[in-house]
Amino acid sequence: MLSLHAASSPAFFLARADLGRLLDLLREDGRRLIGPTVRDDAIVCDEIRGVADLPAGRGDRQAPGRYALTERADERLFDFVVGPTSWKRFTYPPRVPIGRARREGGAVSFGPPETDAPLLAFIGVRACELAALGVQDRVLLGGPYTDEDYRARRQTAIVVAVQCATAAPTCFCTSMDSGPEVRGGHDLALTELDAGFILESGSPTGTALLERLPVTAATVDQAVAAAQQTAAVRARIGDPLPTAGLHDRLLAKLDSPRWAEVAERCLSCANCTLVCPTCFCSSIERVGDLDGRDAESRRIWDSCFNPGFAKVAGGNFRARVQDRYRQWLTHKFATWWDQFGSSGCVGCGRCITWCPVGIDVREELLAIAPAVPAPPLPAAVEDVPVVPQEYVPTRVVDKRQETGDTWTLTLAGLDDVHAAGRPGQFLMVALPAFPPAAISVSRYLPPDGVCLTIRSAGPATTALVGLEPGAEVGIRGPVGVGWPVDVAAGRDIVVVTGGSGLAPLRPLIDAVLADRARFGEFHLYYGARTAADMLFRDELEAWAARDDLDLVCRWLPGRGASVTTSGGAARSTVSAIHQATWDGSNAVAFVCGPERMMEATATALAGKAITPDRVYVTMERHMECGIGLCGHCQMGRFFVCKDGPVFQLSHLGDTFGREGI
Amino acid sequence: MGALGPKPRIGVIKMASCDGCQLTLLDLEDELLELTERFQIVEFAEASSSRSTGPFDICLVEGSISTPEQAEQIQELRRQSKLLVTIGACATAGGIQALRNWQDHDEVRAAVYAHPEFIESLATATPIRDHVAVDAELRGCPIDAGQLVELLTALNIGRRPWLPDEAVCMECKRRGTVCVMVSGRGACLGPLTQTGCTALCPAYDRGCFACFGPRENANAASLTCWLVGGGAAPADVGRLFAGFTAYAEPFRSLVTELGATPGATNGTGSAGIVGAPSIRSGARIAGCMREPGD
Repeated sequence: MLSLHAASSPAFFLARADLGRLLDLLREDGRRLIGPTVRDDAIVCDEIRGVADLPAGRGDRQAPGRYALTERADERLFDFVVGPTSWKRFTYPPRVPIGRARREGGAVSFGPPETDAPLLAFIGVRACELAALGVQDRVLLGGPYTDEDYRARRQTAIVVAVQCATAAPTCFCTSMDSGPEVRGGHDLALTELDAGFILESGSPTGTALLERLPVTAATVDQAVAAAQQTAAVRARIGDPLPTAGLHDRLLAKLDSPRWAEVAERCLSCANCTLVCPTCFCSSIERVGDLDGRDAESRRIWDSCFNPGFAKVAGGNFRARVQDRYRQWLTHKFATWWDQFGSSGCVGCGRCITWCPVGIDVREELLAIAPAVPAPPLPAAVEDVPVVPQEYVPTRVVDKRQETGDTWTLTLAGLDDVHAAGRPGQFLMVALPAFPPAAISVSRYLPPDGVCLTIRSAGPATTALVGLEPGAEVGIRGPVGVGWPVDVAAGRDIVVVTGGSGLAPLRPLIDAVLADRARFGEFHLYYGARTAADMLFRDELEAWAARDDLDLVCRWLPGRGASVTTSGGAARSTVSAIHQATWDGSNAVAFVCGPERMMEATATALAGKAITPDRVYVTMERHMECGIGLCGHCQMGRFFVCKDGPVFQLSHLGDTFGREGI
Repeated sequence: MGALGPKPRIGVIKMASCDGCQLTLLDLEDELLELTERFQIVEFAEASSSRSTGPFDICLVEGSISTPEQAEQIQELRRQSKLLVTIGACATAGGIQALRNWQDHDEVRAAVYAHPEFIESLATATPIRDHVAVDAELRGCPIDAGQLVELLTALNIGRRPWLPDEAVCMECKRRGTVCVMVSGRGACLGPLTQTGCTALCPAYDRGCFACFGPRENANAASLTCWLVGGGAAPADVGRLFAGFTAYAEPFRSLVTELGATPGATNGTGSAGIVGAPSIRSGARIAGCMREPGD
């Protein structure tokens, strides 16, 4: 099918010999030119000085796991497809400074990095890559928290697109609705013909450039030749990956045996994610002096295929390669839609060509079978106020030991934004040279204080609990979606938790007890390994003494118990719920604990007529940034830091309680 | 870590090795003076004639266990050390000398030494972790100076050292190096190998030879299938694994399985797979997984 896609904007002709004029114009304001050039037996994107650096007369041959340069009979400059470099190398570089931190005595300070984003012009961006830039824009600039380094590089860059004149067997932009025709996101679009280039403007910047170039109006023959060339590319690619219903098809196949089969071939080397033009997962690398006084933070490319990516103290959520492959593929082709309103894949085929063992995602997707509807999406994520992204030094004013390994730090002097959190929200807490830790607020102390109850689980949390009153820490937050207290108004409340899980629930309990008449019956179930592992024991005693709160504590026998309870030491909180006599048909439940415990609890609650739409759980994942930009805490269609940590159980669907998510 | 007290005592000690890894410490020209303000280097034969037999807060051990004397010495070092850190491919994987583990010990001795009767060595060269518990490993032949500084900084501050168990590919891609294997410039063990070397070799146009050793989930069987499917002789693929970290699994098993036993003559005799594998559209390797003993 021939379509004159150029019809919407007037087309101009630039003689081949005049391309250099365009590059000169782009360089006038000190802009660096990034374009295709030959290096290491491949056509890569790198800084170019002029037309001479473009790959004249070179082409490429690509297949799963194979790439080869070819010689062409003509002198065309853009007659090949995408190479190993994507433009994210320049908009979202592999290693960029994002902040500095300093610790002097007990004081900490956090500052912006010393960077100057370069002015760039991209030459030869293809339709699939324009789509990819759009995808990263939505991820990194579309939410309440943004990546400012990305913004600086991206928004100043001039984009000169090029219409593909050829296709590789690895291309599938047609299936992903991202090409091959350039449809938007460019300043100028070029179509290369033998004699020269058809130019179309896509922005005022592009029009201004056109006005300064020695162009003529394109003839009808030239415009038709350009359109035919692109149409031929579309025909050549065909539709290698039918995507109708793919989102639901894929999410219905989380148990496919194919995941384990592809894991036998997958090297978990992460090449697919690093050549992908949309993958954005990152980690923070800290480089500093020998004493941890000065540290620079750098955002570096990471990948969900790396062993440490989903690790937390005590375990790895995606220990097996099959878990990681499933995470990557389901995110790219399914849950990305739920999070960002588009596919995460643009069909450029890089992950196929640059897989060292030639795994073809299209083949894997087609092998994964028929449709079953996915669970419902949350109606809307609670509107959470946005807080500053910078870490703010905050003073520790009190410290109290709760159990053998857990302390509560009280911070004071917070401004209105940082002190105004909601029950269930958390703070990112940082010391220079240590990775930040996500810590739930265990009590709000208006007007300017919070309590953080911290278990010493690794070096960073050990350093935090080692702080004494007077010392400072950096905080960002409160962030995340908390417990929806208002949902429980006029209803009965059931809280179920264990061990350190009581900490994020205490602000909820505070809120309910402060306005007790607003709520119905209040049942609080709290389990711990031993009585000595229980948090806030003074308060438990006080709660137990109230007649408007039914407190049931459970611990294993062996240690002395001081808590007066209605139950005593026997079995688990789950069995206590099974034995309870109350009726939950009007109740809302709030649950915090390990996923296995929450699963068992949800079953017990269902037996008391509390359906999953009235059960709220809090999920644990590896948190690196806390604001939905680094990808570490992904769980199905959610980032736990931004969309949670508190979730309505019915929104989690069958990702809840499943291994390897 | 973190409870080492002020000015921890460091010992740098070698077993069977070439000394290259310990020299990395001496090569830290920018950091060395600062390091000596925070640590006491009490034993380092390459650097000082003042010696110590312990105790050490941190013992950096280079080399593999190759003689009966070393097998005893390492036990005593473990007793003397709060933290025992192995450095380099010999200490962490056995090193190049572990290639003798596939061969007849007496023949090897006779081939190397004019008077083998004076040589008292064990039949095998083995990594330190086969003999005593090890607290941390710095891999590589030689180790990476940046990782050494990171380890010492982390020990000084009391945080966890950042020694990621990722593929060399991560650093290749961050550097912008074009994949040597996909672009047909030769076989590369980078996808199987733990990073930390800054992806040095591929940046100089040659495949990784796994001097940092296999990483977690190193899927050497799949890479073998791919290379064999592309036309390589199995023994030549096996010979790729028979390098500095040959004695580490899964390389160890594949060296034997693929018929690349050191000392034997087999395969095409090429020093590696340097020819460009041809492009084969739709090439599939599923089903080529070797059965043990196949």
